[in-house]
Amino acid sequence: MQLYSPLSTTPKRKAVRAPALGGIDGLRIGILENGKLNAEEMLNEVAALFVQHHGCTVRTLASKKNASAPAPSNTLVQVAQEVDFLITGLGD
Amino acid sequence: MSTTASFRTHEVPDDLLAAIDYCYDQGWTDGLPVVPPVVARVKAMLAADGRPADTVIARHPATGLDLSLHAAAVNAVMAGCLPEYFPVVVAAFEAMDKPDFNFHGSTASTGGSAPLLIVSGPYAEEIGMNADVNLFGPGNRANGTIGRATRLILRNVFQMLPGISDKSTQGNPGKYSFCIAERARGNPWPLLCEAQGYPKGTSSVTAYAGGGFCNVENHGGNTPEQILGSVADAMANYGCITLGQAVVILAPEHMQIVAGAGWTREKAQAYLFAQAKRSVEGMKSVGKYRDREYDTQHGEGAHALAAKGFMHRGLGPDDILVTMGGGDAGGHSCFIPSWSRGRGSIMQHSAIRAEVK
Repeated sequence: MQLYSPLSTTPKRKAVRAPALGGIDGLRIGILENGKLNAEEMLNEVAALFVQHHGCTVRTLASKKNASAPAPSNTLVQVAQEVDFLITGLGD
Repeated sequence: MSTTASFRTHEVPDDLLAAIDYCYDQGWTDGLPVVPPVVARVKAMLAADGRPADTVIARHPATGLDLSLHAAAVNAVMAGCLPEYFPVVVAAFEAMDKPDFNFHGSTASTGGSAPLLIVSGPYAEEIGMNADVNLFGPGNRANGTIGRATRLILRNVFQMLPGISDKSTQGNPGKYSFCIAERARGNPWPLLCEAQGYPKGTSSVTAYAGGGFCNVENHGGNTPEQILGSVADAMANYGCITLGQAVVILAPEHMQIVAGAGWTREKAQAYLFAQAKRSVEGMKSVGKYRDREYDTQHGEGAHALAAKGFMHRGLGPDDILVTMGGGDAGGHSCFIPSWSRGRGSIMQHSAIRAEVK
């Protein structure tokens, strides 16, 4: 008996992780805030810990209007040029 | 677009029960047994559309995964669909693929919504769909399997896997299947497909991210205000009320009272919107009022709407879909809340590409 696969036939995208940072002392932080309740407050608190303990600087606060949609690619491209790492997350 | 694409197959023993177990082992099911998608049945399903099998009808915005007609047909077979149901499955995903439906968000979210499909027009009767007794319950193959095919496609094609990419806190039973037909028999209002502007004879599917099911019982009311007042109260209970859209399916008994008094769909929508509200103070008392939320939904400057002291269900009467369904006996209508408006899910519809014989 021959069964067809029910999965998508889209070729798998090559997803590659960014290389791990050698250290975080003194690096530039970006914050991607997703519009959910408390997200901005929570992310600012997390960023403050990086500033306090590792001498990082907060360079960018980016926002997206819809928490359930991917961040627009132009937002990510712009942020990537300005920061060394980005933090994001839910706050509710 | 190539028409010569090859599609992956799996060789299994010629044993039906073993094939069912094989589908379980592959993680292809919703927890219930599926019909093994043998080649002949998939080809018969595809013949009901007629376009090339690799035609893409929907794309997942987060992963880029495509839904081809072929993959849709495989999952429709697994769900137990007959070929004549396939145009409804296809139309459902053509509706859900519209960006404003946001099927990624509504499926992935903790909110736990499921795509409610409302089939309107002559094709529903053509394929034997149920618009009558036990409307949302089991017993009708078309209703049950079209809704189930939708879930299997979300799972298998778009990889919306419970606990991994589907993070519903509690989910809802509609995640197995959530598909009804609009009742045409005795319906005093234009059918949805007509109201949506499709040509006469064209049927439609409306897709809506439904967050559950709320029965509205009223056996004593005998005016439109009494019947719709009880519906509006369900729409505005503290647990359900948001700025999201609403679906209301009026039982025939209730519809007789509402339309019998001369009320149109538009008048019913306006009444429901006006009545389905909570005071800002009340919303604050349960911790659900967010200052300036109207602004983010309507645009800058809309704060005056909430400043009047109330928040309504939805942003206006058009946010409420109202039609008729269910059996002749019983004062039981229903309200189905939506998934998040703020996350961007708005109901969508699409034409069914099939002729009524």
